[in-house]
Amino acid sequence: MIKEMREDRANAEKNVREAFEKAQALQDKLNAVVTFADIDAQLAALPEDGLLRGVPIALKDLVSTKGLRTTAESNILWNYIPVFDAHIVDKLRDAGAVVIAKTNMDELAMGGTNLSAYSGPTHNPYDLTRMTGGSSGGSAALVAAGVVPMAIGSDTGDSVRKPAAFCGIVGVKPTYGRISRYGILPYASSLDHVGYFTRSIEDACISLHVLAGRDDRDMTSSFLEVPDYLKELDSDMHGRKIAVLGNVVKNLKNPATIKVFNDLMDALRERGAQVDVYDFDEDLMKAILPAYYLIANCEATSNHSNLDGIRFGNVVKGETMEELMKNTRTNGFGPLIKKRFVIGSYGLFEENQERLFRKAQKVRRKVVDAMKECLKEYDAIMAPASDNPAPHLDDSSADELSANYLIVENYMAMGNFSGYPSMTVPMGFDGDMPLGLNMTCRPFEETTMFDFGKAIEEITGYKDMKAEVK
Amino acid sequence: MEYEATIGIEIHCQLKTATKMFSGAPCTYGRKANTAVNEIDLGMPGTLPCLNMEGVRKAIMACTGLHLTIDPLVKFDRKNYYYSDLPKGFQITQQFHPIGKNGFVVIDTPEGKKKIRINRIHMEEDTAKQFHLKTRTLLDFNRSGVPLIEIVSEPDMHNGAEAQAYVEALRQTLYYLGVSDCRMEEGSMRCDVNISLAPKGSDVLGTKNEIKNMNSIANIGKAVDYEINRQKEVLDAGGEIYQETRRFDEKSGTTIAMRRKEGTVDYKYFPEPNIFPVRLSPEWIKEIQDHMPELPEVRRERYAAEYGLSAHDISILIANKEISDFYEKVMTFSKNAKGVCNWLLGDVSGWLNHHEQNIETCALKPENLAKLVQMVDDGKINGKQAKALVEDLMEGKDPAQAAKEKGMEQVSDEGALREMVLSVLAANPQAVEDYRAGKDRAVGFLVGQMMKASRGKANPSIVNALIVEELKKLQ
Repeated sequence: MIKEMREDRANAEKNVREAFEKAQALQDKLNAVVTFADIDAQLAALPEDGLLRGVPIALKDLVSTKGLRTTAESNILWNYIPVFDAHIVDKLRDAGAVVIAKTNMDELAMGGTNLSAYSGPTHNPYDLTRMTGGSSGGSAALVAAGVVPMAIGSDTGDSVRKPAAFCGIVGVKPTYGRISRYGILPYASSLDHVGYFTRSIEDACISLHVLAGRDDRDMTSSFLEVPDYLKELDSDMHGRKIAVLGNVVKNLKNPATIKVFNDLMDALRERGAQVDVYDFDEDLMKAILPAYYLIANCEATSNHSNLDGIRFGNVVKGETMEELMKNTRTNGFGPLIKKRFVIGSYGLFEENQERLFRKAQKVRRKVVDAMKECLKEYDAIMAPASDNPAPHLDDSSADELSANYLIVENYMAMGNFSGYPSMTVPMGFDGDMPLGLNMTCRPFEETTMFDFGKAIEEITGYKDMKAEVK
Repeated sequence: MEYEATIGIEIHCQLKTATKMFSGAPCTYGRKANTAVNEIDLGMPGTLPCLNMEGVRKAIMACTGLHLTIDPLVKFDRKNYYYSDLPKGFQITQQFHPIGKNGFVVIDTPEGKKKIRINRIHMEEDTAKQFHLKTRTLLDFNRSGVPLIEIVSEPDMHNGAEAQAYVEALRQTLYYLGVSDCRMEEGSMRCDVNISLAPKGSDVLGTKNEIKNMNSIANIGKAVDYEINRQKEVLDAGGEIYQETRRFDEKSGTTIAMRRKEGTVDYKYFPEPNIFPVRLSPEWIKEIQDHMPELPEVRRERYAAEYGLSAHDISILIANKEISDFYEKVMTFSKNAKGVCNWLLGDVSGWLNHHEQNIETCALKPENLAKLVQMVDDGKINGKQAKALVEDLMEGKDPAQAAKEKGMEQVSDEGALREMVLSVLAANPQAVEDYRAGKDRAVGFLVGQMMKASRGKANPSIVNALIVEELKKLQ
């Protein structure tokens, strides 16, 4: 889609305006947008060339945009207008992309439902009574609804890969350090990744080509050269080895998911791939979620200490500066956020840190070691991204202590623990609702990941799949 | 009761780098508020720290100069607390892995040289500066993110003089290395002094008080001695010392309680996730250590060996690095080490103080000072005349030229003087007769006549020799 749009030079402006208008038209139904951007100024400054020239895109509302409100869907930042652009904004602009909107998300990216957004949840384009998943729900919805061919999200636990599954699109979380995080409002720095959504593997290749690369402002960004992902795309599955994550598969309950996934694995076998079930230590798998919560919340509570009302944001005054900070933060954060800050703070207390935060780090290391071991032999780890399709907005039936919840619904944080590249692609349907498959590969082997994605896309035919919003 | 005071000192020192520790904004002092600031220094959402390797280099120099062991794996941690001068809500510091450990400095005490141990040096970033007005507080973020090292001593000092000597020794070393400006009055060097008293001989330390806000090295000695005395009086009166932070009040020369410390604050330190550990190569560290500016202790020894100056002169000279540097420049033109030293520490320093100038920016040229000393040594002018030339010298004038203009230069030209001698002899036949008759004092009379004739400009020793020579010819 990106290539066609880019080459449709004569209609560049028209394409962008159509996307903008479509987003506006769908806003009542999807609530995917927080702020619409000024497209005229961007169209006037369009570069002569670029991989994304004239391509309308959307940014999750935690991407810092100079002069354009960036709320992270939190009341505390509701009036925050950044003075600087994120690194990827520079890259996207240079490549000729036009930002049409800043999109809805869970408050400060802390959530997997998009229900905690200050301006209310995003609705799933396939079924407006269902959620998009989160935290990058708005971006997922705009891509799934065919408004834009690509949108930026961020992924700390599975915040790109889960909504991609629920919305039937491609969701990419490249290797940690592949895309600079400079200017991305943080959740948990050691787990945060810039990710994005597309509706095809080719578009995923082009997008990463634009977004990836060293940025001196992010010390964790990689010096590795960025390959031409599209050029290297090769869907031949002969000699490829896939590890099916046994712990997930055996805990699946949804027959549709089981069938779709198994059929797909068979098809990959037919194409020449070796597909084996590979089991990780079950207790270790169950420890992923609690370890994730601790690390993420500990880092988050520190990361968001800058939101104090002193220099920017939605200030609530007080008699003293201490009172001002207290009032601002009490008023500014939703209840879920406060809960996470309390947990994070508790985990960092000197008397708790060893048995909580540091222990969680140990779990993290063990998980990464196990993944490394598995990927010595296999080229990819695969499993369904979720057992069930997108839940209804009012669904709160999850049994948070079941293996089904602990492992199946939350194992994707493995990709954040390790920083390994991980991607969700559409694999089929349960009724009218899409289902996604997740895969994780060795660090900086996005090319391999795209190869698998391309093979699956050829098998399923789910390329440029759009939801018809009713 | 007799008490022993135990003193430990924490020093925060701003590193002299062009840009901040974790951002590209410039490090400045005295610039208009909030004009040396970028989004990182303001803790804007989404900003990330980027380590300034020049800051690391300066820290390595400090560690080397103060004999610490350097940890080649540089790691940073977060110190979490809410305060209006701390934009991120945490300070990036090195809690768990300081860049340097276990060093020392040597100070002079009445009992001789004493080693004060340094526990650690770690790198961190400065906070914003607050200005508390009556109804509001102003914040200047120019200082936010400026590189700092914190130097933590062991509790090895026991009185005000030792504390002061320790800080002075540190200041000298860091200043010589170019690591820091070390200006206490501008806050680029800040000292927190911890003092506790315990009965003499006790191996349990007493409750400590921390003194802040001393804006000169001289105040450290005063503050410490005052505080030791204060605590002694409290204890002798049966009172109790509470753990508190006190500030030194310069006007009254006393320390005043600011706040009491109750329990310890939990800063929830944890490793900074946005800075991966940086492995310093041994070659890089060695390269820095091989190119260190001369340390004051090395210079001290060199001056003794090279110039033969007294320990006292050397101490005064090197206490001011600029004067000392200038001294060396003068010495490339001169052989009179003591003479140059006296001039520099005496008349030149006096002039600089009086005119509120410094040796680097004043017009004095090293070769001219050397020349002046030489002129005196050669007897071309006398000491009194030389003093009269200081003003010209400091204005950048050549002293020989100035002496000539002032008509004070001695005539040492033999040809000219001989002519003058012959005419003086011709005009004083009686004196010549007296000399012939064996009255040697006639020479003195004739020299006096010469000086009169030359209006004091004739070089007396040459004149003396010439007169004797000519008189002998006449015999």
